Amino acid sequence: MSHIHIPDGVLPLWLVALGWAGALALVWIASSRARRTDVRRKVPLLGVVAALVLVAMSTEVVPIAYHVNLTVVAGVLLGPWLGAIAAFIVVVMLALLGHGGVTVIGLNTLMIAAEMAIGWGLFRVLARAFGRRHVGWAAAAATIVTLAITTTALVGLVALAGGGAATGRETGALDPRSLTFANPFSGGIVSVNTLRGEAAPAKPAAPLSVARFAAVVYTLGPIGWVLEGLVTAAVLSYVARVRPGLVFGQAITEPERGPAGDEEAH
Amino acid sequence: MDVRAIDLCATTGTSRLHRASPITKLGAFVLVLTAVVVQQNLFIVLACLLLLVALALGSRLPARHVFALAAYPAVFSLVFAFAAAPDAFTGAVFVVRAVAASLAAIVLLFVTPYPQLFAPLQRVLPEVVGDALLMTYRSVFLLAEKFEHLRVAIRLRSGLTHGHPVRALRATAGALGALVLYAFDLSQREYDVMRLRGYQGRLRITLPAAANRTFDAALLASAAAVLAIAVIFRAAGATLTPWSWLLAAAAALALLATIAGRLVRT
Repeated sequence: MSHIHIPDGVLPLWLVALGWAGALALVWIASSRARRTDVRRKVPLLGVVAALVLVAMSTEVVPIAYHVNLTVVAGVLLGPWLGAIAAFIVVVMLALLGHGGVTVIGLNTLMIAAEMAIGWGLFRVLARAFGRRHVGWAAAAATIVTLAITTTALVGLVALAGGGAATGRETGALDPRSLTFANPFSGGIVSVNTLRGEAAPAKPAAPLSVARFAAVVYTLGPIGWVLEGLVTAAVLSYVARVRPGLVFGQAITEPERGPAGDEEAH
Repeated sequence: MDVRAIDLCATTGTSRLHRASPITKLGAFVLVLTAVVVQQNLFIVLACLLLLVALALGSRLPARHVFALAAYPAVFSLVFAFAAAPDAFTGAVFVVRAVAASLAAIVLLFVTPYPQLFAPLQRVLPEVVGDALLMTYRSVFLLAEKFEHLRVAIRLRSGLTHGHPVRALRATAGALGALVLYAFDLSQREYDVMRLRGYQGRLRITLPAAANRTFDAALLASAAAVLAIAVIFRAAGATLTPWSWLLAAAAALALLATIAGRLVRT
């Protein structure tokens, strides 16, 4: 699912606050770890990989309104800690472009960072198991499993949000059952009784329909998982062919001699 | 996402909103966003949305770009409303709230050049995160342009056609793979350039002073008034709710006045 397309004001405040706290803690820890290495070199790298994810997200793969995310690619290239920082940057930019709520920046950061970390970990394991000749299979499997996990986490989030206060609604003088307005001026303009006017009955907060939400995301989601898996497999296979050091430098730790043109040789 | 159009409008716009202090604009954005998020009343959220539309039109923002970006969260919130909202009116609140919140962010982005927008954030974030945020925006321009060229090259070789989704998928994946390699080369070049310019691990940005302090104060006061009204209507609950449609009507009149004023001036 990559990032939560849940609008502002839907999730309860405690969940939003928890997301912000978790995301800021994660970004702070990741920045502390990044500082141990040459931070000046990391800044442009982080910038271009975050921009790469943003460009990918703005690109339709096939004309059916699906876009790729490249989060697993970014995770493989950056690793989990720098990936967490890239996730935060991507989410801030997306929120400013109206693509994902501002209040859910925290939860979105945690979701994308988890996707990058899980994708990175699974790719490492599968790349070892399948070997260099089958990078594409390792990438596709890692991506599909990762997206299935994060989609389930998203459904869990909506279930946690449940019937929180944020799901309530008021319709003012409009009666939603009859679609008629109750005229507050019916008592006359002078005696409008603004402060002690007719009190509309408070509507109880109705719970979000978790089952329906799960049905929708588990129906539409797998199409996106497979597309993302195919694109990730093709991209990582291409990069592994041309510059294996970028892919295997993170995924396979034992030293291997790369072909001419490998960036490790420079 | 046309980043060039956003940047052009933010840097060359001459409206009062463009010339306001970035910190004032950020503060007003936070206040309006809070008002939208705390409200459950359809009419008050609608009033906020209409006022934001009036603000966008009054500041002569490019309507096609602004409303196209605002429509994106509308589509996703419609899906979310369909999937999870317990009834149609809660769904309507989800959609109007999502569009209002994202329109607030989009207006902010269209009236504030990105270095000025991110500079206050950069000061409170860890250095690697703040600097990478600035680098990301710059890299998005370069990568988006490069990716567009790659897509044109592929299309010219008949690799990207809507009639062949599998071929389109492979071609897009190939272009993204090439883009990954270009991104790494770009990050290396940027690192070299930054070092030559004396980068020591912190980009420094000077924030401009407000062009008109009275307008800045009025902007903040208006945003605070919107929040106060939202909080009062939320706190008063059933007592004031029947009158909330008046606010939406007043906002609609303000929007009509803005449109009329714009037509008269042209």
